[in-house]
Amino acid sequence: MRFTSILAVAATAVITVTALQYSAPATADAFADAEDAVKYRQSAFSLIRENFGHMAGMVRGEIEFDAESFQKRAEALKHLSYIPFDGFSGAGHGVTENSDALPSIWENWGDFSEKSEAFNKAAHELATASQSGDLRSIRPKFMATARTCQQCHEGYRAD
Amino acid sequence: MVIKLWDGFVRGFHWLLVVVLAGLWYTGGNLDYLEFNGNIIEFIDVHHKLGLIMLALIITRILWGIFGSSPARFSQFLRGPKAVWGYLKSPFSKEHLTHNPGGGLIVVLMLVLLLAQAISGLFTDDAIFFRGPLANTVNNDVVRALTSYHKQAFDFILILIALHIVAIFVYLVMRKNFIGPMITGKKTITNSNITPPKQLHGGYGFILLSLNLFWIFWWLG
Repeated sequence: MRFTSILAVAATAVITVTALQYSAPATADAFADAEDAVKYRQSAFSLIRENFGHMAGMVRGEIEFDAESFQKRAEALKHLSYIPFDGFSGAGHGVTENSDALPSIWENWGDFSEKSEAFNKAAHELATASQSGDLRSIRPKFMATARTCQQCHEGYRAD
Repeated sequence: MVIKLWDGFVRGFHWLLVVVLAGLWYTGGNLDYLEFNGNIIEFIDVHHKLGLIMLALIITRILWGIFGSSPARFSQFLRGPKAVWGYLKSPFSKEHLTHNPGGGLIVVLMLVLLLAQAISGLFTDDAIFFRGPLANTVNNDVVRALTSYHKQAFDFILILIALHIVAIFVYLVMRKNFIGPMITGKKTITNSNITPPKQLHGGYGFILLSLNLFWIFWWLG
C-alpha cells in the first residue's frame, strides 16, 4: 500500500516534470503554431489599417473631420502599433506562407525592427498631436506616420 | 523639299507627354510631399491628377491616330512583322515619310503600355493612404493584382523610352534628325516626288483633348 502510493507520487512527478519540459517552449511565446502567429499579426495589421484608413479619410477630406473621433482612432493606433511585431518572432519567425511578409524581414531583422520602432514613435506623436483637435497641425504628423508604413512595406511586404 | 509632317497636336501631345511622364515618375511610388504657399501637397495626389491628364492625352492620341492627320494615323505607320523585320535588318536603307516600321511599333507599344498604366492606376490601393477612384468597383484580389502590375510595368515603359531615345540619337549620328520635325513640324525630304501628306489643323486635336480632360476629371477627379 505504502509502496504503491510512493510509486504513484513518483510517477506523477515524473509525468509532470516531463510535461512541463515539453510544454515550456510552446508557452515561451503565445502562439500555438506558425499559422496562429500569422493570423495574429495579420489581425493586428487589419485593425491598424482600419483605424488609419478612417483618419486618412478625414485628412483627405473624404470624411468630415471630427476631432473627437480622430483622437480616438489615433489613440487606438498608438496602442496597436506595437501589436503585430510579436507575430514576426517566435512561432511566426520566417513564416511567409499565406502571408505578404517577405523573407527579407528576417534577413534584415535589425532594419525591420528599427522601422517598426519608427512606426511606434510616429504613432505616438500622432496621438499627442491629435489632442490639439486642429487638423492643420495634425496633418504633418499623420503623413509622417504614413511614410513609416511605406518605408517598411517597401522591401518587406509583397506587392 | 520641305514638307509639313507633324501637325501641332502631334507635337504638343509628344512634349506634353514628356513633361507629364517625368512628373508621374517623380511623384510615383512614395509618400513625399511638396510645400506650396504654406500648403502641403501630397505627391500621390499630384500623381493621381497627372495620371488623369496622361489618360486624356493617350485616349486623344489614339483617336487622332484613327481620325487625325495622315502622318499621325496608325494606318500610315503600323506595319506587319515582315516589314518590321526588314527594317531591323537594314534600318538606314530607306527613307520613311512618317514613323519607320520599328518606330511605329514602339509608338503603338508605348500607347498600349501607357494606357494600361493609366487604367491600372485607377484601381490601385497602396494599403496606406491612397485608393484609386475605381478601386471600390472590383474585388480585393483584382486591386492587389492591378496595384502590383502598376508598380512593375513601369520598368517596361522606362525600357521603351530608353530604346526610343537611343534610336533617335543613333539616327542623329547618321545625319537623320528626327528631333527637329517634332519641334517645328517640318521635315526635309530628298525625294521630291512625294506629295505632301494631308493635314488636319492641330487645333481639332486640342479641342478633342479638352473634351477628354473634361469627362475624365469630372468622373475620376
